[in-house]
Amino acid sequence: MACDSLRRARPLLGTIVEIAAAGLPERDLDAAIEAAFAAVEKVHRLMSFHDPESDVSRLNRGAASGPVSVDPWTFAVIEAATDLHRRSRGLFDVTVASALQDLGLLPRLESSFPPPSDGSATGEAVETLPGHRIRFRHAGVRIDLGGIAKGFAVDHAQQALQAHGATGGLVNAGGDLAAFGPRAMPVHIRDPREPSRLLAQVEVMNEALASSGARFDPFGSPAAMAPAVIDARTRQPARAVAGVTVRARSCMLADALTKVAMIAGEAASDLLDGFAASALLVLNTGEVRVSASWQVSRAA
Amino acid sequence: MPDWFKWTAPAAALVSVTSAAHAVQYLSIPQAQKLAFPSASQFVETQAGRAWKAQAGGRTLGLFVFDHVIGKHLYIDYAVALDPGGRILRVEILQYRESYGGEVRQASWLAQFVGKTSASPLAINQDIRNISGATLSSHHVTEGVKRILAAYGHGLR
Repeated sequence: MACDSLRRARPLLGTIVEIAAAGLPERDLDAAIEAAFAAVEKVHRLMSFHDPESDVSRLNRGAASGPVSVDPWTFAVIEAATDLHRRSRGLFDVTVASALQDLGLLPRLESSFPPPSDGSATGEAVETLPGHRIRFRHAGVRIDLGGIAKGFAVDHAQQALQAHGATGGLVNAGGDLAAFGPRAMPVHIRDPREPSRLLAQVEVMNEALASSGARFDPFGSPAAMAPAVIDARTRQPARAVAGVTVRARSCMLADALTKVAMIAGEAASDLLDGFAASALLVLNTGEVRVSASWQVSRAA
Repeated sequence: MPDWFKWTAPAAALVSVTSAAHAVQYLSIPQAQKLAFPSASQFVETQAGRAWKAQAGGRTLGLFVFDHVIGKHLYIDYAVALDPGGRILRVEILQYRESYGGEVRQASWLAQFVGKTSASPLAINQDIRNISGATLSSHHVTEGVKRILAAYGHGLR
């Protein structure tokens, strides 16, 4: 079978990850896609909340008692999360894991953990130290990198494709995606209020795009369920808007900024601008709003 | 504060997003078998349409198990490759099909099929849909892989 593009999919990061690559002989495409999946698998292994051996679990068990060494990739994600926490004035927060547990959106894995935080533990409680070490300033801090690691995995999968010489490609981790190459990729955006319907189509070219909204289960009901984005101030699901799609230069940024926009709604525009990102918001009324640069980035 | 603009879908875009199904064929069963066990010389079917032993020179390299999960709106074919000890080597999605509701009834959607014959098939893979939106869980595939491990993960004799 001779072809110059390949597309594969595997269940990873709690979703279906799809990787496509083009511009190489088939055997080289296979190797490129394999390396890209290996990058996603590494992120899955390091940053899973569910795996007791992951860096995240080791931090949640031990980082309140003293610095814990982590993989440079985990460190890079936590550094970016810390920066976003500061620049979003606390709206982006990886320490909402216990609120997700309270809402039944994350499992309680451990009996040895201190009781859930009383709200004093926020993103400021996470300290990055030289030598890829992390320390939590309070007991009871628990992090979940689910709001940013998927985008980071997409970026690294794309870099693996490029390192193998692919001239074009697309990595889509359940809607958090990045595309590179000479061809614009059509991307359809689901209606967050009714995920079995498609709302809009955009063209993605050498940029990343991520969406947040309700969770849904197409195996059972196509109806949307509660959003899995937590407002750290209320420790309740964010309900400012029904859904949001962000375009940015990296998928990690796009992924994380969707969480801020879910919480802040239209008030997120300054932060989006600061990161040269643009967004499409689906308001609770069903109206759709786009930021001023949405069309500009489309043409870019 | 920068402005937000009200967005309404252009008529042309509305037509292009109306589609009954999103389907992607990633791999056939033989392709997935070869990818999972590149050095295998043959695949011996041990359970019709479901399980194959990968062999090379009389040696068993592992087991290839095909399965699917079906829901109201999503249909996924996948395969699990196990080594002789029953450990997972890889999980690969073979086919993915998702159906959408509502808009199928619209005349503009039906119009795209007018004039199509078997000689001009709807080549879904030529215009593959990429979708972003509400969080899709892979929970059901993960559960399926667990069932396969429970059934076949005891190792091969």
